[in-house]
Amino acid sequence: MLDKLTGMQKVTYYSLLTLVAVAIIFPVYFMFIISLKTPRDIYRAPSLLPINATLANYQELLVEDNFLINIRNSLFVAGSSTAVALLFSSMAAYSLVRLRYLYRDWIGRLILFTYLTPSALLFIPLSVIIQRLQLGNTLHGLIFVYLTFAAPLSTWLLIGYFKSIPEELDEQAMVDGATRIQAFYRITLPLAGPGLVAVSVFTFTAAWNELLFALIFITSPNLQTVPVAISRLITGDVFRWGLIMAGAMLAALPVMILYYLAQRFVVQGLAAGAVKG
Amino acid sequence: MSQNVLPRMEARPASRIGLRQSESILGYLLVAPVVFSILMLIVYPFVFAIYISFTDRVVGSEGNFIGLQNYFNLIQKPDFQASITNSVVMVSGIQIIKLVLGLGLAALLNQAIRFRQFWRGLILIPWAMPAFVAFITWKLLYAPQGGAFNFMLIGLGLVDTHVDFLSTRELAMPSVIVASVWRGFPFWVVSFLAAMQSIPKELYEAAALDGASGWRRFLNVTLPGIRHVVIVVILISTIWTTNSFEAVWLLTGGGPSNATMTFPVLAYYGLQSLRIGEAAAVSVAILPVVAVLAVIAAVRLQKEN
Repeated sequence: MLDKLTGMQKVTYYSLLTLVAVAIIFPVYFMFIISLKTPRDIYRAPSLLPINATLANYQELLVEDNFLINIRNSLFVAGSSTAVALLFSSMAAYSLVRLRYLYRDWIGRLILFTYLTPSALLFIPLSVIIQRLQLGNTLHGLIFVYLTFAAPLSTWLLIGYFKSIPEELDEQAMVDGATRIQAFYRITLPLAGPGLVAVSVFTFTAAWNELLFALIFITSPNLQTVPVAISRLITGDVFRWGLIMAGAMLAALPVMILYYLAQRFVVQGLAAGAVKG
Repeated sequence: MSQNVLPRMEARPASRIGLRQSESILGYLLVAPVVFSILMLIVYPFVFAIYISFTDRVVGSEGNFIGLQNYFNLIQKPDFQASITNSVVMVSGIQIIKLVLGLGLAALLNQAIRFRQFWRGLILIPWAMPAFVAFITWKLLYAPQGGAFNFMLIGLGLVDTHVDFLSTRELAMPSVIVASVWRGFPFWVVSFLAAMQSIPKELYEAAALDGASGWRRFLNVTLPGIRHVVIVVILISTIWTTNSFEAVWLLTGGGPSNATMTFPVLAYYGLQSLRIGEAAAVSVAILPVVAVLAVIAAVRLQKEN
């Protein structure tokens, strides 16, 4: 498999990879340089180089616009959804992996099946239900709705992680006098640390990136999350691309840094078919 | 001896049953919050959606039961017909390109490539970006004024006048497909690469001893070895691509004149126009396809976990 490459192969393979790298990097690069340009430079003197670079777009977004409020809303919603999902799903995953009871396998199947249920099938009935619960146009309602993807996703992932921890460790602790609950939070949970990190990253980014539910359920500008605020910027007549790209950069940076830091765990999770796509 | 052992033997099953019982109560208690959330937020809305689709419900009024009327109306509507054809064309286009790209790049990275971690990290970038950021950026790349593609095409003298990628009937669909592939292919490459790396080296050595060429080894060793992962990735990704909202909504909004309309966007417009019953029918109409894919994917994933 890992035969040494011939000279010809080397040239072909590395040129192909370079081509792919350019295709990947160019849009990101363009997004970055446009975020540094004034409308005048974007339209009158288009260029692929960051000529007359300025931070004016970022300044306008953060100082004059509501963008800091949007970031705060997004942090609150994504953070709370992650915390709730992590609490619920670690309990459920432990129960499904370690405890034996009637209908356990059916509950496992239900969770897997709902993990595969797309939001596009749910947003219409959910809009009626959320309205009825008086949770329309509130961040709490959004957190609640985000459990539709966060709970099955994180439970399904944690089941995999918990299974990889030897059951004997729990049993040993219980022989030594620990209760089931103690075995759960003193033995299994700490050992599943990397899994909990990966699950948090997935859940947080999924909630941070979510557009459709936020678009439907939030109507007040001061409650809008980052994706909604940015997508509202492109619906006008004149696209203020510099401002839009500055917002896109600010929205993408936190999750890309998270992915980079957690890359080891994320790739494992990806390989397990963990992420929607 | 046996006299001594017997009482203990009898006592143990009794305490075990007690333990079992408290274990199952604890089991139900721990799983309850997730099950409750799922019943409340997924199962109930799911059933509710099917019910709503049989009514003429609008915002502010419960509406009446009208049977299949919404579905009959939909079949005759040009935007619904377009959304079916477009979804088929778009999803198969995107998935076929991602499959070829994914297999090709994974096989490439599975060679004796230097800095494999670096290349893999680089390929993950589009995937690590939020989808809405990726598609807004592609909207800018395609833009007639200020967009990178037009700047390059005109600069190189390939076209005389601005090309409006997203508002031209023939170009809108391919443009949406290209942007969706860019955002989605990393998942395929990384999954396939991980599967390829778990194939035992001995299989390749045996194939090499039999004199199999590189291409033969790919067909006879690599492909069978990653078959399961390929099928799961195709299934899951097809479910999500079919139901993807962001790409079309941000790039074209379904236009020009329904050329890129897909059913999630159509259902969204239905909700916007407050005709809830009809909007629900749009998403329920696609349900059988999604359900079949989900069942097959679930069975395969369950075997694996």
